[in-house]
Amino acid sequence: MRPEPSKTAPLEITVLVSVGRHPLTGRGRRADQDARGVELARALPAPEVRLLHAGALDGGSEAALRGYLGMGFDALTLLEQPEGADVLPALADALSEASPQLVITGERAEQGEGSGLLPYLLAEWLGWPVVNGLAEVEDVQDGVATLLQALPRGQRRRLKVRLPAIVTVDGAAPAPRQSAYGPARRGTLEAVPGPVSLDGDWESWQVQPARKRPKRLKIVKAASARDRFKAAAAKAEGGGGQVLTDVTPEQGAEAILKLLKEEGVLR
Amino acid sequence: MLDTLLPILIFAALAVAVIGAGRRVRLWRQGRPARVALLQGLAAMPRRYLVDLHHVVGRDKVMSNTHVATAGGFVAAAVLMILVHGLGLAEGVLGWLLLAASGCMFVGSLFVARRRRNPPARLSRGPWMRLPKSLMAFSLGVFAVTLPSVGLLPEGFLEGSGGWLLALVLAAVVTWGLGEMVFGMTWGGPMKHAFAGALHLAFHRRPERFGGGRSTGLKALDLDDPEAPLGVEKPADFTWNQLLGFDACVQCGRCEAMCPAFAAGQPLNPKKLIQDMVVGMAGGSDAAYAGSPYPGKPVGEHQGSPHGPIVARDGKALVDAETLWSCTTCRACVEECPMMIEHVDAIVDMRRFLTLEHGNTPNKGAEVLDNLIATDNPGGFDPGARMHWAADLELPLMADRGAAEVLLWLGDGAYDMRNQRTLRALVKVLRAAGVDFAVLGNEERDSGDVARRLGDEATFQSLAKRNIATLARYRFARIVTCDPHSFHVLGNEYGELGGDYEVRHHSTYIAELFEAGRLHFKPWKGGGVTYHDPCYLGRYNGEYEAPRNVLKALGIEVAEMERSGFRSRCCGGGGGAPITDIPGERRIPDMRMNDVRETGAELVAVGCPQCTAMLEGVVDGGAEVRDIAELVADALAEAPQATGGGATQTQRPQAVEVV
Amino acid sequence: MSEIQRRDPRKEWIARNRLHPQHLEVLAELGQGAASEWMGPSGLVRKNPHAVGFTGPHGIKRIDRSGVQQGAGGGVGSATTGAERKPLVEIDEPAFLVAVVPDMTGGRLSGHDRDLLGLARQLADADPRAPGAVLAVVFGAHKEEGFADAGIDRLVQLEAPELEGYAPEARLGALVAVEEAWAPRHWLVPDSKLGGADLGRRLAARLGERPATGVWQLEADAEARGEDGSGWRCTARGAAGTLDIQRPLPRVALALAECAEPVSETRHAAERLTLPQALPAQLSRIEDLGQVAVDPAGVALSEAEFILSAGNGVRDWDGFHRAARVLGATEGASRVAVDDGFMPRDRQVGATGTWVTARVYVAVGISGAIQHLQGIQPCEKVVAINMDPGCDMIKRADLAVIGDSAQVLEALVALVERQREEKRHAA
Repeated sequence: MRPEPSKTAPLEITVLVSVGRHPLTGRGRRADQDARGVELARALPAPEVRLLHAGALDGGSEAALRGYLGMGFDALTLLEQPEGADVLPALADALSEASPQLVITGERAEQGEGSGLLPYLLAEWLGWPVVNGLAEVEDVQDGVATLLQALPRGQRRRLKVRLPAIVTVDGAAPAPRQSAYGPARRGTLEAVPGPVSLDGDWESWQVQPARKRPKRLKIVKAASARDRFKAAAAKAEGGGGQVLTDVTPEQGAEAILKLLKEEGVLR
Repeated sequence: MLDTLLPILIFAALAVAVIGAGRRVRLWRQGRPARVALLQGLAAMPRRYLVDLHHVVGRDKVMSNTHVATAGGFVAAAVLMILVHGLGLAEGVLGWLLLAASGCMFVGSLFVARRRRNPPARLSRGPWMRLPKSLMAFSLGVFAVTLPSVGLLPEGFLEGSGGWLLALVLAAVVTWGLGEMVFGMTWGGPMKHAFAGALHLAFHRRPERFGGGRSTGLKALDLDDPEAPLGVEKPADFTWNQLLGFDACVQCGRCEAMCPAFAAGQPLNPKKLIQDMVVGMAGGSDAAYAGSPYPGKPVGEHQGSPHGPIVARDGKALVDAETLWSCTTCRACVEECPMMIEHVDAIVDMRRFLTLEHGNTPNKGAEVLDNLIATDNPGGFDPGARMHWAADLELPLMADRGAAEVLLWLGDGAYDMRNQRTLRALVKVLRAAGVDFAVLGNEERDSGDVARRLGDEATFQSLAKRNIATLARYRFARIVTCDPHSFHVLGNEYGELGGDYEVRHHSTYIAELFEAGRLHFKPWKGGGVTYHDPCYLGRYNGEYEAPRNVLKALGIEVAEMERSGFRSRCCGGGGGAPITDIPGERRIPDMRMNDVRETGAELVAVGCPQCTAMLEGVVDGGAEVRDIAELVADALAEAPQATGGGATQTQRPQAVEVV
Repeated sequence: MSEIQRRDPRKEWIARNRLHPQHLEVLAELGQGAASEWMGPSGLVRKNPHAVGFTGPHGIKRIDRSGVQQGAGGGVGSATTGAERKPLVEIDEPAFLVAVVPDMTGGRLSGHDRDLLGLARQLADADPRAPGAVLAVVFGAHKEEGFADAGIDRLVQLEAPELEGYAPEARLGALVAVEEAWAPRHWLVPDSKLGGADLGRRLAARLGERPATGVWQLEADAEARGEDGSGWRCTARGAAGTLDIQRPLPRVALALAECAEPVSETRHAAERLTLPQALPAQLSRIEDLGQVAVDPAGVALSEAEFILSAGNGVRDWDGFHRAARVLGATEGASRVAVDDGFMPRDRQVGATGTWVTARVYVAVGISGAIQHLQGIQPCEKVVAINMDPGCDMIKRADLAVIGDSAQVLEALVALVERQREEKRHAA
């Protein structure tokens, strides 16, 4: 099924997977970017893809982790960590022991602090290069990987990185394959003990559900109150359901162009 | 000479047929075990054949009579032939009876031959084209060899050199006839349908369907047993009586003629699918198939074996995945099948494997299933926003009330802006009739219909079990819903998981309310109206009358479409078909709106959110699409002679009376 | 800020008291009071007895019923707008530095960068007795002329070939050199996909600091003074934007757009600094092969910012594709256009296709089936070009042009091309 690499030595990939959280319901699931990472790894001519997760195992997280197994894996290595632990030392230990050539992970977690710092800290710890925001791994040859990095607005940048390396996956990477129930049910979670260090800082912070950010007011620095009043009272230009009937195509086009320019989408 | 030859021929044919039967049975027994009441089934078989099956066959009177003449004649002739020629009991009336039977069969075979002269496209050709000749050979041969036995021809007629020749010719003809009719019955000729069909009727997987019953709910997978297979991967994964059912197919193509996906040029033909299963069961290629292919897929490129995959992960096997995903689960094929084969069960069984083991639900299927898992609705909407559409309606919540006469099941249409209009109308109608109802509100989840039809039995059962647990907390007399899919699942499929409810489609309930005098309508002023039967209301639940009664109560005379009632054409919205979205040459809803146009109606009444969405999505459809609830709500009028405080009367006291 | 304005509480009180005999005199003296009367748009003189909202110096909207319109400072009608009149603030001996690493998209400060500089100013100016200075670290050549107006006191411009393009490791080395040279009290980096998010995290990891990421609010907080003495508490988004984490502001912070108001009322020195020693040479393990040409038509619909979407009313498909190309828009389609085979399925917009979040959505010949309108709900601006003025899309649209879509698109294409031509000539 997966084409065997012709000349290169077998490529060992570890994908770090986390327990995601659905944005609306908060239910545990495959983390979107991590799942894309797994998909990226599967698309490579890699004979060995290993899934690695560090965290606690409970009802919610098990279902999510089995979600990764459902993408066609027999096993997932689980570094058991209590709730609120700093998983970095355990992951770094496990990675330096297994020494894969490529570590793939999502940009940031969907739960907890979600700072997106882990790949950088791991890279710093292991002394490996780290590349962020991948859309595709194009090729791996002679210890060098050719990558496509996702930029905003669908743009892409091609990079080469020397392996071993850590790469993070952007939401623009190919969507993960469906997680099938059968393999998810059959797969095993291989628990491996690891060093545990508690995250004291996190305990001391106040955490609450995100508040809606206030929308920035358009501050009008006008000379007179009248101008400010007009600015405050006037409808947004071009908006408010303006309907142009009986106009020439040119007039219509001008109105549209004006709106496009105001919104800054025209380059 | 014939006197010695015929018994040998007859008993040799019978012996070979018995060997063939053994082989055939071995093929079926490759399937998984199924719990079937064997003796009861065999005992019920004649009745099932003569009543239930002929009820379906009888929809085509000519063919029905042809079949009665041919099959009846054959069965009688075969039995008598064994007695007369095999055992030499030619005396008296038996020989005459045999003459009559074979004559009757011959007349029947003439009609079969006429049918085969210019066969419609739905009929398979190939070996089936020689069937009338074989029938004639058998009937004529038996007729001819019986003539001397009854003394119509002199005993010595077949003696002498000319007679010898004639006898040889006759023997050859009889051999041909016997070969087709007896040998072919168990070794795989067209007559196989008689043998397999009879046993299929006896061991049918849905015995409830016979005797006027109805059984349409899919059967649950056992998910608690980790060893139990998840759906059907290879032909041998079907239960043995499913395999037997496939073997019963007569290739009459009535399913093909009814299948909306086939008509739309999507790569599905129910007849070919069943034949492919037969090919898989025996092993080999589909090259010998002589009927219409799957649209766009040439015959001869697929092959399979009993223990090989039906659908390959890559490349080709027995069937392509898109064939299975084209089905709208409308059950038109099952309804039409004279052999009562269960196509939809087989398709969903195979889909289950694709989804649960391959993880390969096409197009938006995976996304929809993920949404169902994460948000309990296929659109991925916030479960807390389920009641936003009714913010101003102050719907009573079950959580506050604890009990109500009617539990109004809203369905996922609560998120759809079009269906919200229907729901509003329905609420208005219920209030006008003073019905004591309540909704589950945010506690409601998707019924699991889509998940199940897409093969995700695990998600279906998870949703169903949670819904059942929610429903168990409240007291209500019945569930009313405007979504036939929820109706079907709640009413017919939750039972297996421990939820038994009395469920009503809103059209049924409105008809009841009207009959009870709780609704009053203004006369209808609009134009011509036709009615589209939703598959999950009609074929799945047999409710064809109530919607028409409601329309009649509104003063509407329905201009029926050519395909209506149990032959209603699907809108294309069932079985997750809009989600898997297999391309065809046409779109199913377009064809349906054409049907509507042919009636000249300005408005098509429907009773299903899916149908509404599909039919309304047709560009330049011509007719307006309205749900029955909307029509009723628009026509609501005050009670004609409201006495005193009429308004309060319709609100309170009646609600109490009914409980 | 630098002008010292004295308040006269008595005059303010008279100005507020409309019954005071000296009210009008005082108002006139304060140079205010006329704004309650003006010529309305239709030529009528309108009176507004309430002086309707204005924005105070801290960006908070105020309603002042005193008749004294602007600035309770009641002083000289100081209309200090115009760049040349902005006061110049110079901090010669900064008590500390706040380093900012702007993204400099397209060689200019982005809006996000300016917000961040505003945040940096909050940190720097908190204590007027010991003002800090804002240090901006800029890589490579730039086209920005407004560093001073953006609130930058010191500017380090690092130019080297190895810093060009995507060179996170070299840039990190440079930032470490800045750290060694000046040891800023805070490092502020935009938490943006344009590079800041990456570079900021690298920096934090290298400096061994635990950064605050996704910061969107900053408050002075005496309690947070702690042993580090940052004295600030920040609110940061966590868990994919679903949590607010309140914590003391660490040394390195990655902040979101609109985390603070950009600097607008003062000018700053933007004095150039140079690193005391040359950048350390290092082996780069990441090689940038440059940006890949991406066809806007190939951009995923859900990612697209600007969508030109075609429906049943489009007849001239070549014209439509051309318009999308010229405008640089991503193509979308209604279900009908997809069903009819004019557009591929992955281009379908709507509840049954893709839910789009474009900033501008131009619907060409789409009547607006309800499922389609659901799918474009999150779009900010909707433009409709349609023949039928009664269709639902027109009701949803912010701007609707009734007419033949092919002609309007053609005119639009011509207009855009002409303007581009003129620009090219002007430049």
